[in-house]
Amino acid sequence: MLAPVTYIQPLTTLRRRRVLPVEGFVMVNLGQVVRAGDDVARANLYSEHIMLDAGRALGVPAERMAKLLQRKPGEKVEEGDILAGRRGVTRRVLRAPASGRVAAVSGGQILLQVSDDSSRLKARVPGEVIDIEPGRGVIIESVCAWIQAAWGNGGLADGVLVFADGNHDHRLTADEIDMSQRGAIMIAGTCDQRQTLELAAQVPIRGLILGSMSTRLIPVAQKMPYPIVLTEGFGSMPMNADAHSILTNNSGEEATLNAQAGDLYKGERPEIIIPLQDAGRPPTPVDLQSFRLGLSVRVLHGPHHGAIGEITGLLASSTLFASGIRAPGAEIALAGGGEATVPLANLEVLG
Amino acid sequence: MSERSGPKTPSLVSIDVGSVNTRAHFFDAVEGRYRFLASGEAPTTVGAPSFDLNVGVLAALEQLEELTGRPLLTERGLLISADEDDAVGANAVAATYSSGPPIKVVTVGLLEAVSLASVNKLVNTSYCQITESISLGDRRRPETVIDAIHQNLPDLIVLAGGTNRGASRSVIRMANYLALALTLIPEKERPDLLFVGNENLSEEIEALLGGQTRVHFAPNIRPSLDLENLGPAELALAEILYEIQAERLGGLELLQDLSGDPLMPTAKAFGRVVRFLSTVIDPPKGMLGVDLGASSTTVAAAINGDLYLSVHPGVGVGGGLRGMLRETHLSQIMRWLPAEISEDEVLDYLYNKPIYPNSLPVTAAELAIEQAAARQALRLAVGKSLSNMPAQGIYPLPGTVPWFDRILVSGSALTQAPNLQDSLMMTLDAVQPVGIATIILDQNNLAPAMGASADVNPLLAVQVLESNAFVNLGTVISPVGPARSGSTIMRMQMVQDGEKGPVLDIKQGGLYTVDLPQGVVADLYVQPLLSIDIGLGPGRGGWVRRVVGGAFGLIIDARGRPIQVPHQPERRQAALEAWQQTLAPHPLAQPLYEED
Repeated sequence: MLAPVTYIQPLTTLRRRRVLPVEGFVMVNLGQVVRAGDDVARANLYSEHIMLDAGRALGVPAERMAKLLQRKPGEKVEEGDILAGRRGVTRRVLRAPASGRVAAVSGGQILLQVSDDSSRLKARVPGEVIDIEPGRGVIIESVCAWIQAAWGNGGLADGVLVFADGNHDHRLTADEIDMSQRGAIMIAGTCDQRQTLELAAQVPIRGLILGSMSTRLIPVAQKMPYPIVLTEGFGSMPMNADAHSILTNNSGEEATLNAQAGDLYKGERPEIIIPLQDAGRPPTPVDLQSFRLGLSVRVLHGPHHGAIGEITGLLASSTLFASGIRAPGAEIALAGGGEATVPLANLEVLG
Repeated sequence: MSERSGPKTPSLVSIDVGSVNTRAHFFDAVEGRYRFLASGEAPTTVGAPSFDLNVGVLAALEQLEELTGRPLLTERGLLISADEDDAVGANAVAATYSSGPPIKVVTVGLLEAVSLASVNKLVNTSYCQITESISLGDRRRPETVIDAIHQNLPDLIVLAGGTNRGASRSVIRMANYLALALTLIPEKERPDLLFVGNENLSEEIEALLGGQTRVHFAPNIRPSLDLENLGPAELALAEILYEIQAERLGGLELLQDLSGDPLMPTAKAFGRVVRFLSTVIDPPKGMLGVDLGASSTTVAAAINGDLYLSVHPGVGVGGGLRGMLRETHLSQIMRWLPAEISEDEVLDYLYNKPIYPNSLPVTAAELAIEQAAARQALRLAVGKSLSNMPAQGIYPLPGTVPWFDRILVSGSALTQAPNLQDSLMMTLDAVQPVGIATIILDQNNLAPAMGASADVNPLLAVQVLESNAFVNLGTVISPVGPARSGSTIMRMQMVQDGEKGPVLDIKQGGLYTVDLPQGVVADLYVQPLLSIDIGLGPGRGGWVRRVVGGAFGLIIDARGRPIQVPHQPERRQAALEAWQQTLAPHPLAQPLYEED
């Protein structure tokens, strides 16, 4: 059976394609080193417009408007400039009500663009631009430690990794937040207090990495000005041992917290990227795997949620679980000791 | 669907690419009749890391090959054989798909209650998300609407308006707005446009918008004010949606090549089966189909061949939980929990499940949460579909579904429950049928395959539907009307092979079963009391002929509509437990009716 993969890698070469939703302009050069928060491309997506009914203003049918237009689409105009009409003292004309650009003309209507709030595409990954797709975006390569997570609040930031406490199940509380964490990405096991998140915003910290978080904090977390990433999901689960180990080994180092929402179809997940200098060119991650004996897996659901282990046995499709569900399963030797029988659907391979 | 020759009984492989799982089914003739023989299943692989749905298709086919022992695959993929006597490959392939992100659609009409309502209904027959709806009554400034379209970056615009002898200037005005909005979007990213309005304006629309984007035309969906004609436009829409998804989903074109015919959206194929089955039911009773998926839910109602299809992307029991939770109060899920489970535990489960949508409930508590969520997701989808139910149906009570003679139940959350009792309870609690309905469980999720194969091989669809691949859970009688809890609202007696059974007193609030073995036919004499209605009119009863027994015999659901679940936790759990326990044969009381 094909297995979903989560990457929790102490050293890898990560390649990431970053492209605009519409055609625009690439703002960086080949070979340029970018930070996660740098803009790499922009597109004209969020501009505002004013529509002018030129035909009505001039009292002419739409089909005769073409002859009366004084400005073409794409031309810049200043407030008061004549857009359409015949020249002369007594003739009716249509003037631009604001400075801008003639965006479009159709059926006697003129669309005037009056603001230029372009959409900017951030790198979201620190690294080197190794390819450029003209008008669309870039491919960035990063040699790094890489941890894919379960949930993110949408934010993005760089900062130094700092543990609140060394334990992977540590519950972060408000009284642990102080000014010494200003500018840091904090790491803890769980959080269930609204005040903790709000106080962290006042410090302010740069980001927060948790194993899990109370579901009730979602609305608060989504309003926080800093990125929050959960490695396991919602509840009170500790951070998985592999992610905790990588973060421990890189404590004090600069990292990127990319708390983007997960998108199956784009292959996007929230992630933690720790750039590693002078690490050579490690291989890119393995893509596709099937469940087999000896594979390192993580439990995604149920009583052992977040536990890491090794497959010691593959079971038949009619394996009966306590819920009464029958499904293909696997026997897992858990890393912390003990064994568990888990449906294959509740496992993912650690890539 | 492709068929490489014209044999009498070609074998068929069907493939359904769902949002979470990909299924492959094998059908062949056994003793002269088609049978469903085996199915294979694998995770759908449209996303990372493979981004190619055929990886999942091949894995499902490999499993099918193992189960059937029949060589189905070659190095080049599925083996299509022209020879019906071959013991290798398949003679035909039918494929459906529901995977992929919802298509973002902007709908445009003239009058909100007429052309815009029809165009929204049209778009809701497939996996689309309406991101903007625009009509003449829109109070926003035109430039605000244009900016909204621009920023939305829709995948498709559907423009309706004007009867074929009606409005033209207003339609052209709306088209002008669209032309301006399209100009703002870079050429390569411009959405296609489907025009389903006044057919006399086709040339003008092409002249106005054809230079901006690709314009498709389908017959007017409102040829006159009192006539709605969605059928041809649905076909055009399905083709456009396929083209959009083919650009996004790796391997979709290859799957279509394998299938031979245009790929059919799963919802459309499901609707086709429901429509077909409705033709053998006496109107105005009809057929209802519900397909509860991971990402979306389909509700298909049909009377005498007229189909009313509603697809609800974002309402489901996997990724669709997110959408369901946005429209649901937690108490609407908690009310279905048969045991004490904390709100936090329920919330954690419901928010973790969309992150890992193919994960399975392992403990009894997890199963209870999942089934409670399934009830609410289906209840929500059915509720949202009420505005698209046949007006000609029988409605014993306002605000409910009409009387459907049969209800087809599909979707893993309902069909793969640990036991049939759970499947039936979820269906009754969520659909809350009225009248007298037989519940049919599509336990192997075959309905889309039947729908996709119906064009070329209707015999296969008919014979498999009649086979034991579908489980008759039982016939449900649902008396509705005002009554105090615990008061007698109906008396009934069953007559089987001339043998009269005892009379059963039905009390308001109860759920009952009467022993009637699978496939056995009986007649019923029913006498609703006061203004209680079983679909025959308030207080009206009489003989109900040829009721067919199912896995749970005959069921009387007297819990009222909507079902009132007690708020107090202990009482709630007691009620749910009692209802669950009811689904077992039940001793009867006094005879009510005796023939002279």
